[in-house]
Amino acid sequence: MSDETFTRLVDQHYPTLYRFALSLARNQADACDLTQQTFYIWATHGHGLRDLAKAKTWLFTTLYREFLRGRRRGARVTSIEELPPGAEELADVEIDQARRLDGGLVLAALGGVEEIFRAPLTLFYLEGHSYQEIAAILEVPIGTVMSRLARGKAQLRGALTAAAPGAQVVPFPGAERRKSP
Amino acid sequence: MNHEEAKFLLRAGRPHGQDADDPALAGALALAERDPVLGAWLARERAFDLVMTEKLAAIAPPADLRAAILAGARATPAGRAWWRQPAWLALAASVALLLAVGAGLRLRGGAGAPVNFAAFAADDMLHGQHGGAGEVMGAMQVLLGQPATRLGGGLPVDFAALEATGCRTLSFDGHPVMEICFQRAGAQYHLYLARAGDLPAVAAAGPEYAEAGGAAVAAWRDEKFAYAVAGTGGLDALKRLL
Repeated sequence: MSDETFTRLVDQHYPTLYRFALSLARNQADACDLTQQTFYIWATHGHGLRDLAKAKTWLFTTLYREFLRGRRRGARVTSIEELPPGAEELADVEIDQARRLDGGLVLAALGGVEEIFRAPLTLFYLEGHSYQEIAAILEVPIGTVMSRLARGKAQLRGALTAAAPGAQVVPFPGAERRKSP
Repeated sequence: MNHEEAKFLLRAGRPHGQDADDPALAGALALAERDPVLGAWLARERAFDLVMTEKLAAIAPPADLRAAILAGARATPAGRAWWRQPAWLALAASVALLLAVGAGLRLRGGAGAPVNFAAFAADDMLHGQHGGAGEVMGAMQVLLGQPATRLGGGLPVDFAALEATGCRTLSFDGHPVMEICFQRAGAQYHLYLARAGDLPAVAAAGPEYAEAGGAAVAAWRDEKFAYAVAGTGGLDALKRLL
């Protein structure tokens, strides 16, 4: 691969790879390391990929694998089955309020989502990866991705509600009715 | 399909409607079009998803990340540095073995001067007064400290700027040598740089490795510079840097 092609690949993907890494690692230094390591692996191995159209998936998959590899062994990963009953039901968050939140607060809220849901959720919001692409990147079944997206959104909304300073979250119309006995 | 089943599927759809033609979502989308309650729910979901997409897209990577990625890749050109090809690795291994076992790392000759560039680097690492300053050197330290940076494929060195801005400068065989101390994986290393034209004999046949007195040194060259990196963690640790 020529220098020019490699530079184009970096320019095309490094910001979103960095954001994905940041959501996983939750600190800038580790996110930078993960992003660099991903491109280093590309420079040493990935150039053998024949179909450059698959480079994006390759890069995200590699970054995620590197994150998992570097994570401390024995770290607890919450399985879907461990979620409390009803957690799949989204808490309502007023959209305008979410819109007013600082990007850092949104990132912090995303960081509060459990990792197993955070990875697909970040990919969903970054460049709008389709659920099929997310399944390919994370190497999990499509149904699992759908389930994790639903539960991840629920956790994110809860975290955003908590993150909003002096939050007066106005529920979506209908939310009160659902909560009433 | 009831509302809950439809919501489960629709939550996986992207907010700009890119999945409108996805057969797996078609039934749920059709239901949302017919059912005003579900339709309103979907509109709110998409609005929320769009806000999140915009917020995350606004997070900018650190300003120096792109440059560090490209510099790291240039230090490891596509494929491998020429001397990392298997044939050269075999030759280099024999050279290293000869140096380490046969000649050893004799630090000083009869007149008390280091016998070669590797010995010079080892001697300075063990006995020198390390230091130096300057933004250019600091940037090099950051680059060298990053796990993705491979020293053996070429480094973005501005020799004149290093020399002019406070990098520690030594002299070997009458020629200026820059020293840059850096850390990698908790270990301390010292990189010595000289202009290739000043030291044409350094590693002329390929990379050289040597060990003695607790010091390990790798020396190599490219078109622009002669390099020696010294550490106390053994040759294997040095080879991983290259």
